[in-house]
Amino acid sequence: MNKEISLQLSNVNKTFRTSSKSFSTLRDRLINFYKKNDVKTIKALKDINLEIYSGETIGVIGRNGSGKSTLTKIMSGTFIPDRGGQVTKNGTSLLLNLGVGFSHELSARENIYVNGSTLGLRISEIDELFDEILEFSELEDFKDTKIKYFSSGMIQRLSFSIAIFAKADIIFLDEVFAVGDDKFRKKATEALKQNWLRNRTSIIVSHSIGTIKEHCDRTVLLHKGELKFFGDTEKAIALYQELE
Amino acid sequence: MGSNAASAQLTRKNRWERIWLLAKIEFKLRYYENRLGLLWALLKPLIQLVIYFIAFKIVMRNNIENFAIYLFAGIIIWQFFSETTGGLINILKTKKYLYEYSNMSKIEIYLASLISATLGFGFNFLILIIFLIAGGIDIGWNLFYFPFIFISLFIFCFGIALILSNLYLMVKDINQFWPLISQFLMWLSPIFLGFEALKNNIPFISFLNPLFGYISSFRDVVMYNTSPDFTIVLINFIHAIIALCFGLFLLRTIGKRASELL
Repeated sequence: MNKEISLQLSNVNKTFRTSSKSFSTLRDRLINFYKKNDVKTIKALKDINLEIYSGETIGVIGRNGSGKSTLTKIMSGTFIPDRGGQVTKNGTSLLLNLGVGFSHELSARENIYVNGSTLGLRISEIDELFDEILEFSELEDFKDTKIKYFSSGMIQRLSFSIAIFAKADIIFLDEVFAVGDDKFRKKATEALKQNWLRNRTSIIVSHSIGTIKEHCDRTVLLHKGELKFFGDTEKAIALYQELE
Repeated sequence: MGSNAASAQLTRKNRWERIWLLAKIEFKLRYYENRLGLLWALLKPLIQLVIYFIAFKIVMRNNIENFAIYLFAGIIIWQFFSETTGGLINILKTKKYLYEYSNMSKIEIYLASLISATLGFGFNFLILIIFLIAGGIDIGWNLFYFPFIFISLFIFCFGIALILSNLYLMVKDINQFWPLISQFLMWLSPIFLGFEALKNNIPFISFLNPLFGYISSFRDVVMYNTSPDFTIVLINFIHAIIALCFGLFLLRTIGKRASELL
């Protein structure tokens, strides 16, 4: 494996501010102008430093509220780290979180085009892949139906089917292995392996130890916003299970 | 290879076709989802036209020539402005699905909506041209200035849309304040009032209300076949640049945290 750095985080902290009073309207701001606003800060991530090499499959594990989602959102660029922290990405990235990225007012066909385009595909490429995407999602009969009439399983299947063709250098998979029924899940996992896990940088967030064990070269263990361990997957899982 | 350079390359490749795709879909959603279709795009300004005509011509008996056409020209500029400013206050919320999980830049989302509104305007503009021909008004070579005036208006609306939608992230009730400000701008524009009456009674009107200039320049070149007042055109262009710069500044500072704030 070549050791080109794909993603690097240095001194990444993330603090969320929550205030007890509502300060989200101009009216509230004017009325409460002279009052002190007691702001609570929550440190979601504390001083994270890590390097991910291109082609690696990385797992992220940790208890609920340990900062897994915040970490992936920072790595993907959705959230911005606190001042001083730096995220360096080599290439484009995509955060796959099934079912988001769709407009419910649009039909499956339109969503495939819009979503495909935001994922870096050209219109001509989507034209070519269109039938393949529909076939994979098993939604051929619903291509001109608005997404709002879809079940959540159908939306996930569609979302997944587009994402496996996405053109990004780094992919973040946030609990996507729970897609569809058993049969679809098997097909999906296989496609994901072919298209993504084998040759591109992937980061998998999952509560399923089995999934992490099966796919990941190295694993990040987060606990209360801190990076407890980053390295060998087996060891990370062992440490995770020791946490109470 | 720098991170930003690489991602910029990849998204730039399909940027314009993506903006066009989004603009087309938005246009279609707005006009083809209901039974009246494109007719609806025309119906709105026509109904306004009837209302203003009754109020200002029949009741108040003003003496502006070709008042119906005068009104229509003002109304369609105003409609473009209100669709792309007040209409886009929520854009970062309604289009969150587009930018939250991919590398798509927010500017593309604004441009798509503005282009979609431009298509609507283009349609109304054609109707105006038909009115002009039917009314026996000659369309002259001064129409040549129209693209410049429109580009300036486009930039101005883009800037205001950026400002409003980013402020919305911090103060949610801008939704309720903007219509009030908007009313001010509307009543102090020569949509139904005469150009001279406004200009003579309110000093600095062309500085204070950008719409004053856009509407009167538009009429000059389309309806009166005269060259626009270049001082006003310049002032409007300065308005547009200031709005755009301030809007982009807000997008850089507040807008980058949009997915956390919403």
